[in-house]
Amino acid sequence: MVLGSVPAEYYLVLSAAVFCTGVFGVLIRRNALMFLMSVELMLNAANINFVAFAFYWGNLTGQVFTLFTMALAAAEVAIGIGIILVLYRNFDDVRVTDATTLRW
Amino acid sequence: MVIVAGIYAYAPAIAVLPFVSFLVALLVGRWLPRKGALSGILATLGSLGLSVAMVGNLVLTGEGYDETMYTFVETAGTFDLTFGLLIDPLSAAMLVIVSFIAVLVHVFSLGYMNDEGEPGLPRYYAGLGLFTASMLAFVLSANLLMAFFFFELVGLCSYLLIGHWFREEGPPSGAKKAFLVTRFGDYFFLVGVVGVLATFKTAGFAGENGFPAVAERVLSPEASAEVAVDTFGFEPATWFAVLGLLVLGGVLGKSAQFPFHTWLPDAMEGPTPVSALIHAATMVAAGVFLVARMYGFYALLPTVLAIVAFTGGFTALFAATMAVVKNEIKQVLAYSTISQYGYMMLALGAGGYVAAFFHLTTHAMFKALLFLGAGSVIIAMHHEEDMWLMGGLKEEMRVTYLTFLAGSLALAGIFPFAGFWSKDEVLFEALAHGLESPLLLGGYLMGLAAVFVTAVYTVRMVLLTFHGDPRSDLAADPEAVRWNVKLPLSALGVLAVVAGFLNPVPIQTVTGVHVEFLHDFLDNAASEELLTSAHHYGDLTKEFAGYSTGTVAGGETATVLVSGGLSLGLAVAGAVFALRLYGGADPARHTEKLGGLRTLLVHNYYQDEYQVWLAEGLTLGVARAADVFDRGVVDGAVDKVSSVSLLSGYGLRRLQTGIVTNYAALISLSVLALLVAFAAMGGWF
Amino acid sequence: MLIEALILVCLVGAAVVAAAPDRLAGRLALAVSALPVGGSLYMYAAFDGGGNALLGGDIAYETFFQWLSLGPYAVNYHMGLDGISLPLVVLSTVLTMLAILSAWTPVDTRQSQFYALMLFMEASLIGVFAALDFLLWFVFWEAVLVPMYFLIGVWGGPRRKYAAIKFFVYTNIASLVMFIGFFGLVFGLGESISSTGLPEIAQALRAGQLGALGPVGPEALALASFLAMFVGFAVKVPVVPFHTWLPDAHVEAPTPASVMLAGVLLKMGTYALLRYNFTMLPEQAATLAVPIAVVAVISIIYGALLALAQSDLKRVVAYSSVSSMGYVILGLIAYTEFGIGGATFQMIAHGLISGLLFMTVGVIYNTSHTRMIGDMSGMADRMPVTAGVFVAGAFAYMGLPLMAGFAAELFIFLGAFSSTVLPAAPLFTAVAMFGIVIVAGYLLWAMQRSLFGPFELEPDYEVGRAPLHDVAPIVTLVVLIVLLGSVPEVFWGMISDATVDLVATGGELR
Repeated sequence: MVLGSVPAEYYLVLSAAVFCTGVFGVLIRRNALMFLMSVELMLNAANINFVAFAFYWGNLTGQVFTLFTMALAAAEVAIGIGIILVLYRNFDDVRVTDATTLRW
Repeated sequence: MVIVAGIYAYAPAIAVLPFVSFLVALLVGRWLPRKGALSGILATLGSLGLSVAMVGNLVLTGEGYDETMYTFVETAGTFDLTFGLLIDPLSAAMLVIVSFIAVLVHVFSLGYMNDEGEPGLPRYYAGLGLFTASMLAFVLSANLLMAFFFFELVGLCSYLLIGHWFREEGPPSGAKKAFLVTRFGDYFFLVGVVGVLATFKTAGFAGENGFPAVAERVLSPEASAEVAVDTFGFEPATWFAVLGLLVLGGVLGKSAQFPFHTWLPDAMEGPTPVSALIHAATMVAAGVFLVARMYGFYALLPTVLAIVAFTGGFTALFAATMAVVKNEIKQVLAYSTISQYGYMMLALGAGGYVAAFFHLTTHAMFKALLFLGAGSVIIAMHHEEDMWLMGGLKEEMRVTYLTFLAGSLALAGIFPFAGFWSKDEVLFEALAHGLESPLLLGGYLMGLAAVFVTAVYTVRMVLLTFHGDPRSDLAADPEAVRWNVKLPLSALGVLAVVAGFLNPVPIQTVTGVHVEFLHDFLDNAASEELLTSAHHYGDLTKEFAGYSTGTVAGGETATVLVSGGLSLGLAVAGAVFALRLYGGADPARHTEKLGGLRTLLVHNYYQDEYQVWLAEGLTLGVARAADVFDRGVVDGAVDKVSSVSLLSGYGLRRLQTGIVTNYAALISLSVLALLVAFAAMGGWF
Repeated sequence: MLIEALILVCLVGAAVVAAAPDRLAGRLALAVSALPVGGSLYMYAAFDGGGNALLGGDIAYETFFQWLSLGPYAVNYHMGLDGISLPLVVLSTVLTMLAILSAWTPVDTRQSQFYALMLFMEASLIGVFAALDFLLWFVFWEAVLVPMYFLIGVWGGPRRKYAAIKFFVYTNIASLVMFIGFFGLVFGLGESISSTGLPEIAQALRAGQLGALGPVGPEALALASFLAMFVGFAVKVPVVPFHTWLPDAHVEAPTPASVMLAGVLLKMGTYALLRYNFTMLPEQAATLAVPIAVVAVISIIYGALLALAQSDLKRVVAYSSVSSMGYVILGLIAYTEFGIGGATFQMIAHGLISGLLFMTVGVIYNTSHTRMIGDMSGMADRMPVTAGVFVAGAFAYMGLPLMAGFAAELFIFLGAFSSTVLPAAPLFTAVAMFGIVIVAGYLLWAMQRSLFGPFELEPDYEVGRAPLHDVAPIVTLVVLIVLLGSVPEVFWGMISDATVDLVATGGELR
């Protein structure tokens, strides 16, 4: 199989790269929408891991977990977009650095 | 020969009746026609009647009464915390004095308070009722604990009555001082009471089981082991002396003896009838009465007796000198009271139990008379008390003048008025026993000197008030007083003349006729049985305190005559001296010639100043310092501890920027750090 | 089940009052609080206990059932009363009712919540005095703090937040220290106990079954636990130097809360000292007799001096509470029938008297709107009955005979004077007794300045007579104080009965 010829390390490197992209996005972007996307990237990095290891071990549990994660990500997006909408209404912007009124 | 079968069953009513009048005046007084005066008079008359019946019963049957009436708390053999009644000649006689004076004061108050339209009368009569009830209960007390209870209540009532006119500045201040100074003495008294109870397990005055009798058995040379008491590691004699001195603290406070005398002149802020009650029969008398009550204990303690005598003699002279320069009539009387109670203490210290009580009796009569007389003058003068604004009152106020004169001559100790006989006996006892003891002799000499001074200020007071020309418009046209003033004055005036014949010892010594009535009464069979007889006390002072009767000029009769002659001579000399100085129609202010000495006397030897300094300068200063220390250091430490967490919280909350990015960075860095740490620990590097 | 009924009435009453409209809350709360008063008086009348509840005496109104288990220890629901706790329960119920009545005038916001908290506190207080299992007791002990925190923090004066937090944190930390100390004992006892029941622990400790805990030997463990518990309870009492939360809390608290705080909450500290330290570890108490007596004497004299320096009437009374509670400690350490019995009696007496004085100051404050002694003079002219009650309360505080304070002090002095546990007992007693002179000093001075003299008031308020529902509770208290002072046997019999067993150890210690 095509997949079988690719070693598991490659998937892990890909997953790490996607995760780091997500973290990088969270760390440097100010826009809440970009934030949400970055979080999605991180989640998908985890999904890649799950799928890769499921294939590696020949076990379906990882793939099932991936389905859960995707459902969770969908829910998260729904709530996240909602929060972003409220953010926009209250601050006329979607920059996360503006919303600091709850700190102390 | 019992007058009424079981008369002693009615004894509690002596104290309960005035208490009922207190309740009546307090609760319904404002709706009564005389605002509680009549119920007070009726109640005290009832007490007087019962007291007289007690005396009669004692004389006729010779049976006393010492019964427990009420158990304060049940104790399983630890301490005897009970209330009881002790009726022996001493307490019965005192009951008569107290209730008699109380009746007259109530009657007089009708004139002094009701007729003058004073407000707050129900409160006044309630106070008088409670005052009388407390004093009578104190006199009836069968043990030291109960005595302390009512001793304190007497103090409370004096506070309430001295501060009766609370809307002014002076009376509340005087009341506070009276209570505080006596409280200071009572502190020692309370320690003494607790000590007596802890030592003897009982505080009973009389009988074989009373603490004086137990102490006597402990101290007696043939003491056996089973009468040993817990003396807290001291020699019994030393420990008993400590206890005696502690109780004496309360006595000195209430009887206004040096150095606790300062409250009494300030207590003059109260209504004059109250002063009469305080000085003659209740509060001040309570101290001396207490020493007499537990004389069986004091007679065992020569050191304490000597201190009592010396303090008494010193106070007698000390207070008399201050009275010479006073200008307010009540102030003169206040210092004379201090001085006269000094005589009683001198007598008690010198072993003259009968003499002391004799002087207490006569003094009660003439001092009540003088105060009520002064009250009458004050009514007439529309509440002006300065003697230099009086003068010439004798024409307008015949009854007051004559009775006041009788009282003054008794106070000065002029033959044959009451005070002469009793004071003479006091001095005779001090001299007879003092020949052996320097402290006693010192007390005697001071007492003797005080006779002269007493005569001077007494005659000065009479002359300034009643003689000469009127020195103000008020004095020229005094307000008339009614029967309710004159009646008590007349009754007391007669007694001030004749009360001395209760116990005229010199007559007996010279003529051989047996006239020692008071002595016989105090030696009654009842007191013999209760171990409170004068005879028994005399034996104790001889046996334990080592008192022996000395004589001068070779013989007892000669000693009596020398002593009596000396005191009468000095009194007459003082009277003549004052008559020469102040006898004219318009006397000069002679005391001003005394210069610096007068300043010292007017300022009462600066006794008030140092005591006020002790209270306000020292104690309040220490208290303020303690407050600063408490807020700064003790509470400061608490606040500092809490500020550690507060400040660290303030610092750490800076981490919460509210910017999600920062949190994300922190999380990432922390995860990285954790990874590195685990890696390092796992040995990956 | 009477105790449970009492607690239940208070809790249900609290819920009902919380839901009631403000205009009814006060009357409803008064009616509800009358029920526990009746119940506790019935319990007093029908009391059939004897001896000390912790030392094998007959426990009255006992309830016992399994609750839960904690490792090797069973935690039982165990409630019951003896001669020490019953008077305190009566005190709690009576004082709560009077405090609720005294709240009618000053509390005018959030009334239904205020009264609900008062009733909730009453329930917790009854629980503290009745619980006979440590954890059950601890629940009530901590539950008392909650309503008091809100009473001070919501209805208090200008610095109420500071005072409330200080009160809560200070006493809570103290509870923690005490908790650790107590569990040191529990673990030290190991297998010799099977539950956290106080009687079982007390009897095991007195039987000398305390073992080592780790490297700590039994004696060091007992001493350390004694100290931890003593410090923990000392904060509550309070004993100098742990007293500084008290004046702040009192000054800021509304009058009814002050009444409860001084009247009952302080007694929790001395009650716990008696139940834990002095019942369970008598030998350690004897070892530490001198330091404890020194602390007691310092509390008495220092507290009285601080009261002398104050110009706020409430602070005066607050500091004098420190002084009065010092007498309780002195009585406890004496280890005699009269010492410990007198200390218990003083808890009741001081509860009534300090409650009376706080209420009276509150009544004056209601009309004058000031508590500063310098701001008023001659109040007796306008408020004769209130002034009369103030004088009576002040004299009760000074220890006037035939009032409850004197009876208590007399017992304590008698007990302390003849103590054999305390070296130089007469000396300690005599020094401590000097407190009665200082008390007289500051109360007489405060009365002279504020009540007497010509009428003047700094804030220009119209001052009239106090309403009946203000005067009724203080007059009731005066009557109770005189009753208890003239007939101390009302409580003395049962108190003395419950302390005799305690003192028996004092005898062995000689």
